[in-house]
Amino acid sequence: MTDIKTWARVKSPWVLHFNSGACNGCDIEIVALLTPKYDVERFGVKLEPSPRHADVLLVTGCVTQQCAERLKSIYDQMPQPKFVVAIGACACSGGVFEGNYNVVGGVDKVIPVTAYIPGCPPRPEAMLDGVVKLLNALNPPKAKKQPKPAKEPEVAKPEVVVAHAAQPVVEEVKPIAKQ
Amino acid sequence: MIDFTLIFRILVFPGFTFILLLTLFCDWMERKIEARLQNRVGPMVAGPGGILQPLADFIKLLTKEDITPREAKKTVFKFAPLVAFTIMVFAFCFIPVDGASVLSVNGFSGDLIVILAFATIANFLLFLAGWASCNPYGTIGSARVLTQFLGYDIPLFLIALTPAFIAGSLSIATIASSQVIPFILLAPWAFVLFIITMQAELEKDPFDVPHAESELVGGLETEYTGAKLAFLHLTRDVQVVFGSALVVELFLGGPYGPVFFGASWFWYTLWFVLKLLVVVTITEYITCVFARFRIDQVLSGNWRILLPAALLSLMLTVALVTWVYPLVV
Repeated sequence: MTDIKTWARVKSPWVLHFNSGACNGCDIEIVALLTPKYDVERFGVKLEPSPRHADVLLVTGCVTQQCAERLKSIYDQMPQPKFVVAIGACACSGGVFEGNYNVVGGVDKVIPVTAYIPGCPPRPEAMLDGVVKLLNALNPPKAKKQPKPAKEPEVAKPEVVVAHAAQPVVEEVKPIAKQ
Repeated sequence: MIDFTLIFRILVFPGFTFILLLTLFCDWMERKIEARLQNRVGPMVAGPGGILQPLADFIKLLTKEDITPREAKKTVFKFAPLVAFTIMVFAFCFIPVDGASVLSVNGFSGDLIVILAFATIANFLLFLAGWASCNPYGTIGSARVLTQFLGYDIPLFLIALTPAFIAGSLSIATIASSQVIPFILLAPWAFVLFIITMQAELEKDPFDVPHAESELVGGLETEYTGAKLAFLHLTRDVQVVFGSALVVELFLGGPYGPVFFGASWFWYTLWFVLKLLVVVTITEYITCVFARFRIDQVLSGNWRILLPAALLSLMLTVALVTWVYPLVV
């Protein structure tokens, strides 16, 4: 029974895209995922309009002061089990906007993040890779139903590090071009 | 004495399980056709060729958290999707699949009217479902559902009467079995009109204003999660299959076709499913090719064009039935 559940969850991740203050670079790359060239519907990924329908929240951009509570409320509206993927350098840590007067920081300052996909912007392949790794992280632990926070290193590296801590460790992510 | 044949017929073969599997298969086929027409591949990973994708979606939705918003009208919010689904499946039970419908061999005279009424009730329940969610997008979506289906129900009924006039009966089984020449050849204009009206009735492109994502987020489904959303989706899919089955029964000769060897019920089911898939392909093609109308265009198109056309079609049919068809058939 749990196997069927996990199978269904892995095969049908519906995503919701939220822009918490990005420059639109990552957003365009996310939209590119849906185009015929990448076609994420192959993996059962559908872009859903309502947070109530979504399993995975794709957040792009650093979180601005104004967006923080909106992001939180969108996250709260999603039904369990839910996952958050931070896409792009800004979403991972605040990126070049880190320390700005109107910026809270990375997405993990506001809501728990399951996977980080760094890049400015990450290529669609990188996002696909991240989502696939996130879903595969669901697969092996058969006994546990709780979503596992998976840690995404640089996409170029071959193996994924799965952090078993409940809270993702922020310090491990050192995204590109942090001056 | 329990009639096991009847229980088997209701639960398994032309009944519940068969309808469910057919619905999931048609959903997969629709997604595949849509993907191919958009130069994509479509679902590919879940099962061979992605054929289990609708099943995976359904199971996943069933196992998700079920949220009822505080402001929602709880009872209607919870039960409307389920009741709508039940009514659609019940309506399907009147459609002859293997030469007979689930409930009886010949149905009863007038079951065409009954199943069209069931389809209307199911639509109304979908409206209630959206209305009870008390979400601005949900209420606008369901108001649009109501506006649209009130308009398009009338032409649908009128055009569905065309085959009934030619067959001289309101029973679906009689209409299907009296098609020595399929009615699509005798009344092609009615077939075209029926397909167009059905697109509007099923809220598919170009008439999908009730759940226009760019304007209404999720339309009436906006607040739905988990099992309730699963049943809303399933209701929509059963509606699509039901509409196509209706076209098959009314215009394409129903389940009847050549029986080559062996049991006739096998061949009848095969012909039924093949014809149904042809209709699903046609409707999905229309869905992919056209862009969405505005709500005012949909309504004026209904009252100015489709309703008069349906009336004209009915008059033409009556005239032909009286004077021309006796010479042909």
